[in-house]
Amino acid sequence: MTSDSKPISQFNLRAALALGAACVVVGFSLFPLYIMITTALKAESDIFSWPPTWTFSPTLQAFKNAFLLFGGQNVLVFLFNSVLITAASTALAVGLGSMAAYALARFPFRGSKHLAFFILSTRFAPPVAFIVPIYLMFRSVGLIDTHLALILFYTSMNLSFVIWVLRGFFADIPIELEEAALVDGYTRWQVFLRVALPLVRPGLVATAILSAVFAWNEFLLANIITQRDAATIPVYLSGFSASMGIAWGEYMAVGFFAVAPIMIFTFFLQRHLVRGLTFGAVR
Amino acid sequence: MSLLREKRKIAFAMISPSILVIVAINIFPIIFAVYISLHLWSFGRGEPRFAGLLNYEDLYYDGRFIDAVFTSAKFVFFAVLVEFLVGFALAFLFNVKVRGMATLRQVAVLPIMVMPIVAGLVWFYMFNENFGVINWLVTLLGAPKVGFLTDLDVALFSIVLADAWQWTPFVMLVMFAALQSLPEYVYEAAKMDGLNGWQTFWRVTIPMLRPSIMIVIILRIVDSFKMIELVFMMTQGGPAGRTEVLPWYLYVTGFQGLDLGYAAAIAVCMLIIVTIFTQFFVARIGFGDDQK
Repeated sequence: MTSDSKPISQFNLRAALALGAACVVVGFSLFPLYIMITTALKAESDIFSWPPTWTFSPTLQAFKNAFLLFGGQNVLVFLFNSVLITAASTALAVGLGSMAAYALARFPFRGSKHLAFFILSTRFAPPVAFIVPIYLMFRSVGLIDTHLALILFYTSMNLSFVIWVLRGFFADIPIELEEAALVDGYTRWQVFLRVALPLVRPGLVATAILSAVFAWNEFLLANIITQRDAATIPVYLSGFSASMGIAWGEYMAVGFFAVAPIMIFTFFLQRHLVRGLTFGAVR
Repeated sequence: MSLLREKRKIAFAMISPSILVIVAINIFPIIFAVYISLHLWSFGRGEPRFAGLLNYEDLYYDGRFIDAVFTSAKFVFFAVLVEFLVGFALAFLFNVKVRGMATLRQVAVLPIMVMPIVAGLVWFYMFNENFGVINWLVTLLGAPKVGFLTDLDVALFSIVLADAWQWTPFVMLVMFAALQSLPEYVYEAAKMDGLNGWQTFWRVTIPMLRPSIMIVIILRIVDSFKMIELVFMMTQGGPAGRTEVLPWYLYVTGFQGLDLGYAAAIAVCMLIIVTIFTQFFVARIGFGDDQK
């Protein structure tokens, strides 16, 4: 097709090798998820078979067991708790955090940078360090096993992250637009809500999704401060050992519902993922 | 002047709700943890009694605590080593410009967001000695089955492998973004100076990536230090305490041993360790984007 065939074929070989290697990596990344889904679809005899079966006739029995009858415990309640707590804490964290981020970016005061650093550094504390004091605190105000307890904790956990990342997004937009709006008679609040916020929409979306993922996936505090009424999906899944290691298919089926929505979000979030995950340090 | 005062009022109104929540749920518990750690404080054994530094003294002589510190250090070291080396190499692989590579990259990073408890559940299944798929692969290679989660010398590395599955893509993603942000002209300049590919890599690419490398390593150190889910699902600290990392020891002390004062002392030690590493991170990112 082309006269200059040698560099082209070299290029193709390199490209083919790279693509092949990348496919191997993708295979490794997806393999455990494949195992999860197939185990959920296997009949019990296939789950425990040796050697493992690769071809099997799929059955929805595990899904039925998990969601309709399994163990008398209703997974749907856990799922509902997870959705409610994730949604509420995300809305709070992004709502409160975007205001604070805007103020820190636009109205710097003496020590505001130190305050921002301090807020950020709380994010790095290991959650396990909080379990004793948080448990005692929530117990003393009667919040153990309530949705509010987890909503408060996740809001706080995500606030530092949201503030830090959004502060960078606000600092990136030109201040002239806001000044022009002020001249046009907007109040400061209107400037924030109608001019600044729409301009950082990608940042809002990214921090909201990451906050939601953190809250959705969090296990340790949920395990400590909820027992039944407000317990979330990770708490449910951590009860696997209570099934005596038997109900693999059922737990994999619930695991699928715990992971699938997040996967879909992640796939579409790519653009600002790095900036969010590194707290704005890498773009 | 009134403009300045108005600005201040607005700033205060915008910041204070967040600060209130962070102070109540984030800062206060840390101070409270220090307070608890200075007491003999157990569930259902009467009132807490002030004990000064007794809990810390006990930690100093607690072989199990020292072991947990070393197990954590070992886990963090190997996990971050594997994740960084592989992730770094993969960033270059996914940086090759071929059609389809972008989609493959987007799929390869999916493990980052998987619920850690689910990751633990699935790897627990795959590592099973009787019907696990990894032992099936081992036997395909003609080797005898391995007790991935029961062998004293292997268990921690099985957890490292599960952690690496989840977090190597994170390193790859960050290093890939850093690679993308390198300006083209430095490579042109390197070419004009007659540097070959290898020299360009060591003398141009690596030095320019150094800030991102530091950031990703510190983030991974701090993050892998708090890992507990994989241990919770896969080994519960066993076999014979070989996977008992600090978070797990704290959890067991506080909520199975019910010794809250002692658990809080461990928490304070962990916070000190994390603070030291965090300072590096904050120093790195703080003064770059901010000096405008």
